[in-house]
Amino acid sequence: MRFNRQEKFTGWVMLLPALLILGLVFIYPIGRAFWLSWFTENLGTQLQPVFTGLGNYQRMLGDGRFWQSLGNTTVFTLISVFLELLLGLGVALVLNRAFWGRGIVRTAAIVPWALPTAVMGLAWAWIFNDQYGVVNDLLLRLGLIKTGINWLGTPTLAMTALIIADVWKTTPFISIILLAGLQSISQDLYEAHKLDGASPWQSFTQITLPLLMPQILIALLFRFAQSFGIFDLVQVMTGGGPAGSTETVSIYIYSTVMRYLDFGYGAALVVVTFLLLVFAVAAISLVLNKVNKVRA
Amino acid sequence: MSILGKFSRKLQFNYVLTKLTRHHRWLIALFTVALTMVLVIFPVWTQEPIAITTLIRADEALQLQPLVAKFNQQHPQIRFKIVEAPSDSNQVEDLYTSSFLLGNSPYDLVYMDIVWTPKFAAADWLRDISDRLTPEETQQYLTEDVAGGKYEDKLYRLPFRADAGMLYYRQDLLTQAGYNRPPETFTELLTISQEIQQQGLAEWGYVWQGKQYEGLAAMFVEILAGHGGYWVNPDNLEVGLDRPEAIAAVEFLHQAIVKKISPPGVTTYAEEETRLLFENGKAAFLRNWPYVYSLAEDSAIAGKYQIKPMVHATGKNSAGTLGGWGWGISSTTKHPDAAAQVAKFLSSEVSQREFVLATGFLPSRVALFNDPAILAKYDYYPQLLEVVQNSALRPPIAQYAQASDILQRYLSAAITGKMSSNQAMKNAAQETRNLLGK
Repeated sequence: MRFNRQEKFTGWVMLLPALLILGLVFIYPIGRAFWLSWFTENLGTQLQPVFTGLGNYQRMLGDGRFWQSLGNTTVFTLISVFLELLLGLGVALVLNRAFWGRGIVRTAAIVPWALPTAVMGLAWAWIFNDQYGVVNDLLLRLGLIKTGINWLGTPTLAMTALIIADVWKTTPFISIILLAGLQSISQDLYEAHKLDGASPWQSFTQITLPLLMPQILIALLFRFAQSFGIFDLVQVMTGGGPAGSTETVSIYIYSTVMRYLDFGYGAALVVVTFLLLVFAVAAISLVLNKVNKVRA
Repeated sequence: MSILGKFSRKLQFNYVLTKLTRHHRWLIALFTVALTMVLVIFPVWTQEPIAITTLIRADEALQLQPLVAKFNQQHPQIRFKIVEAPSDSNQVEDLYTSSFLLGNSPYDLVYMDIVWTPKFAAADWLRDISDRLTPEETQQYLTEDVAGGKYEDKLYRLPFRADAGMLYYRQDLLTQAGYNRPPETFTELLTISQEIQQQGLAEWGYVWQGKQYEGLAAMFVEILAGHGGYWVNPDNLEVGLDRPEAIAAVEFLHQAIVKKISPPGVTTYAEEETRLLFENGKAAFLRNWPYVYSLAEDSAIAGKYQIKPMVHATGKNSAGTLGGWGWGISSTTKHPDAAAQVAKFLSSEVSQREFVLATGFLPSRVALFNDPAILAKYDYYPQLLEVVQNSALRPPIAQYAQASDILQRYLSAAITGKMSSNQAMKNAAQETRNLLGK
């Protein structure tokens, strides 16, 4: 279809509000963070910006706390997203079958995702409490342990507890996306495949997985971006402890900006995290494009 | 003026009017309305009472309501209003911080935790109120509470209610275990705890706040002071965290866990978890704030517990970390005098007495700890005065939040056994020195 100039102009005018909002909400803050990251602006400078060039980035290189939080965030993101994908796929496959009461089960499966994270974070903190926690109580009753495990007070266990809580909360999100994908796959394909003598496992790897790839990647994209910015769950459950072993990048940024009032350095942290996330998301999108092209 | 002249002027005026387009007439009308507003309506509005606004946690805002009503009744020219905030004090700090960062804060009065003072003052968000109190007036408040409201020798915060860390102990368990007095030193605290545990009187000896959060730093300050050590000297920014006293203080906490006197989970506990353990009779000793005293009266251990100042090392003095809330005047307020009037009213003896009787919080005025009306309701307040007067301050430095985070991380590493006490404190001291540019 060809547009004349008048139509093109009208089109742009109609786009303008959306572009304006996009600019205000995305481009301005990101641009400002880039700009601010060249300055020192903290209580030491009476909150006035003083140009330091790459000073903030240099400081970041030697900042053990930044690297530790980046490592924590990466571990948390990779493990939790992987588990969520695995479990989410399983749940989606089950829900895709017709069985009695599927509607109820499907609704119930979404409940964790609908709960406010802070509320369920508090609940999980109590579940993992070493004295009154349900987890320890179960393990003790089953005779698997003799004394209560100090879940949130041991670095690796605290991270494990966080991942369990996150997996519990966001698996439903992935399973809903995958379920939508599954329902768009025609049953005829499976029947034809079966007539050709394919086993259920072969059907799964040769039909389900390839056709589900776009949904899997989209789910990955969403979850990766969300998980990398995890804040509320960690803040409520461990506050970044013990000894900073569960502190994520977003918690560190929050502390730097809101509590230390160190705006220049905070901006530099934001910029680096932002770039890392953009790279990761771009990589996933690239794969997604390729998969879509192969299909088309 | 002749009739002719008047007439010709009127003619001229009409001529001008005809020359004006409709558009211009609208402009003139608008201008007239604006002028009327500026000259007539606004002055009438400013006859309205001055509005003074502050932001306070919702639960405490409710407790303050009677005082607010009383103030507004007695001062018709001022309207004092509390905006309710979330009940987590960190979030309140965030809300104040954002309001100041955005400029033109809507809050005239700032209801402040004692540790916010240096940061807020250094950021230039508060007015110096040194001249608003006479030396005689200042003397009526707890010395440390006033000191905690100072930054670079200027006063920024008028104390309202005080708070201090203290030791709760189970009198009944002590007696059963054969002790006739509570422990005085750290060593005694550990040995008595072990004795009580061995006799099977309580599952745990001593519980305290070991989670990585502000409460850990607050708790550590009194252990540190009790060992004769210091964190940061605010006068010369000297850091004392790697001195032997500080390492001994960390080692005390670590040993309490290693010797199973404190539950391993203590490294994840904040105030409430420790209070529940103590109230359920699972622990013989508890480090906590005064609020536990009245709450525990409704628990299984009612009438069986006592309070005393925190224990200390042999030959040193005991110390309780000072907390507490007070009033600062925002630097952006247009009505500093009215705001000061509100603050003084709320911190007055009459208001504090009323507030303390209603809530069980600690006053910031020395005289009220021995006030007959208060003693009639809370007979343990003289003991609390002893605790509060032996209190220690967290370092009043602008970068306190950051310094506290450094300490919290390394303390957490030391008490969870991730790092030796020695190494943890060396690192903490080094990072703190970097932070302060020493």
